[in-house]
Amino acid sequence: MDRTGAYAVIGAGPHGLSALKALLQNGIDADGFEREAEVGGNWNFGAENSRVYQSTHLISSKPFTQFPDFPMPDRFPDYPSHAQIKEYFSAYARHFGLVDRIRFEADVVRVAPVDDGTTWLVTSRDRASGAETTSEYAGVVIANGHNWNPKQPHYPGQESFGGDIIHSADYKGAGVLRGRRVLVVGAGNTGCDVAVDSAQNATATWHSTRRGYYYNPKFVMGRPSDQTADLLLALRLPLPVRRQAFKAALKLTVGDVSRFGLKKPDHKFFETHPIVNQQLVYHVGQGDISPVDDIARFDTDGVVFTDGRRADVDLVVFCTGYLVTFPFLADAEQQLNWQGDHPVLALQVFTPTHRNLFVSGLIQPDSGQWTLAHWQGMTIARFIEAARDRPTVADRFFRAVTAETGRAFTAGTTYKDSSRHYYEVAHQEYLEALQTAIHELEVAR
Amino acid sequence: MNATALGGRRTRVMRPWDWSLPPRPISHREVISAQPATPTGKPPLLMVHGIAHAAWCFGENWVPAAAEDGYPSYAVSLRGHGGSAGGRHLRRTTIRDYVHDVLQTITELPEPPVLIGHSMGSIVAQLVAERYPLRGLVLLTPAPLHSAVGDLLMIARDRPADLGRAIVGQTLSMEPDILFEGLDPATARAYSDRTGTESPLVQWELLLPRTIGPIRCPVLVIGTPEDRLVRMEDVQRTAKLHGVDPVWFPGVGHDVMLDAGWDRVLAAVLRFTDDLPPWGRVRGPAGRGPTPVE
Repeated sequence: MDRTGAYAVIGAGPHGLSALKALLQNGIDADGFEREAEVGGNWNFGAENSRVYQSTHLISSKPFTQFPDFPMPDRFPDYPSHAQIKEYFSAYARHFGLVDRIRFEADVVRVAPVDDGTTWLVTSRDRASGAETTSEYAGVVIANGHNWNPKQPHYPGQESFGGDIIHSADYKGAGVLRGRRVLVVGAGNTGCDVAVDSAQNATATWHSTRRGYYYNPKFVMGRPSDQTADLLLALRLPLPVRRQAFKAALKLTVGDVSRFGLKKPDHKFFETHPIVNQQLVYHVGQGDISPVDDIARFDTDGVVFTDGRRADVDLVVFCTGYLVTFPFLADAEQQLNWQGDHPVLALQVFTPTHRNLFVSGLIQPDSGQWTLAHWQGMTIARFIEAARDRPTVADRFFRAVTAETGRAFTAGTTYKDSSRHYYEVAHQEYLEALQTAIHELEVAR
Repeated sequence: MNATALGGRRTRVMRPWDWSLPPRPISHREVISAQPATPTGKPPLLMVHGIAHAAWCFGENWVPAAAEDGYPSYAVSLRGHGGSAGGRHLRRTTIRDYVHDVLQTITELPEPPVLIGHSMGSIVAQLVAERYPLRGLVLLTPAPLHSAVGDLLMIARDRPADLGRAIVGQTLSMEPDILFEGLDPATARAYSDRTGTESPLVQWELLLPRTIGPIRCPVLVIGTPEDRLVRMEDVQRTAKLHGVDPVWFPGVGHDVMLDAGWDRVLAAVLRFTDDLPPWGRVRGPAGRGPTPVE
């Protein structure tokens, strides 16, 4: 089908929805593609590529997490559950008339450039019939998510281990933990959530982490702690002052975690993606969770840790994160400026090799996410609009922005180098950059 | 709308105060609504009242009449007004809270509405419009974004006692002769008696000049020469900000939705609404490929 007057938006999670809406809102024709029967992406609990579990709640509070033009309802709590979030995305899609613009149960299997990317062929497979359709588009917005393809670690002796090993990708709820002796690996937010679920359900729980972390409480002085953090930003306090303020707040609320047997953080505040979990330390303090080192090796009925300790376990949950993949994109390495094992983009949105191929959602902010999703979508829409109406402006903008390909938005922080932080952005600095981009595209002549 | 009409105004991305000190949620918002007998495909209208008023002022005539004409119609009471919660915190309420209330109401509508703001409600409506993609924006006898100091001076000249009341934070006088021109005295008195209390912070905020980001939806500005609260020159300046000419309704008082002649004003609003482009209308092809990168 000839859709060369339109853009394709791949994925109907929060980033796909907000990109689709931004395009339509600005008079740019667009079709959405979603492999499931409903919107929500990762938050579509129970769907094949959803990675939320029964106990998932937001770890950032409403104000910065929501779309700025579609606030979450007042009846939602500060930290809504995954079911409420799915309800929220459905309401957003209905309200803006997106549902009719999305092809559901359409698995995008191939996206390939025509004439070096003058247009793009998008092939989708109907999941019910298996029939494939190919349409030609003016361009593509990729919003397929980056938290669905499990990163699987491997340890010596893993094959001979007699218990079960699952990745958190397959963790849907605490039922699987009940009555078992569980080792949870990884101290991301998922790892901490699963460790807490396990503390409340398993017979015994070990939590293996490579380093010590700061465990931020969800509430400080009765208010969501990320709002307090944003207050310090609103007051324009410099990073060292904010660091000290956070350390002080953490000292008063959580205290010295090494007293509980947790490792002391080996890095400064803000140098790793924040962990927001008030219950982990509590359960460690109650003895429900035993913090342990990195795994050295498996044996037939347990695990030996790098400090020489050993634990008898019969279930291991790897909460070791996800890998970024674009399985449908032909020659993704070239199209998205792949370097090493990850794409390197400009403004985390533009690829230096194409002016009609964009990525939304390849970010991991130190904050809520969907305010950023909204403005990524708006930036893309403004660029397409400029390319249509004022090509010289778009041209100048594109040259300037791609000259800074790979620029990180760290707000002065040096992240601990781990594949976990490739996409980390300090939300304030990143949004300011998007604001500048939007302004240039809107008013430049 | 081209960039010139937007006056080079900057899209507001950073809202640090909304992220750090968000408006307090409220338990209940009063929304008066009426639906057309059969679905007509016309966009919903959402009406926002001004100082010391509440949803009833639109509920009286406009909501039923617009529904009769095929428009799903809604009027919301801002917090601390009419049947909405939040009265206990009214003295601490600011315009930001009202913007929150209107956005919350919008998210419950089936599709993007035409937003109609009256007087102070026009300020709220414009602040909503800079962040939410409305179908259209209607400003009725709008309090000026650029500061209501001039209007306050006019009020001071006409009714010196009112200036004193406003300064100490009492609600501006809503006497019948201020709001209405053509109503019989009994009706005018009854409407005037239905007005309530306003937040002093909100009244003071009206004196502060505000800047606003670009508003991309079509705008209709309505004023009256008889207005005793908002000066004609302020209505003109509001209209100019949006690159349009105001539409005047001589002989109608400040409360254009209640005063005699409300039906003529409503007819103008509905005509404007009928001409609006559908939300998300394609404005030409996306462009057959921007020049490939060499």
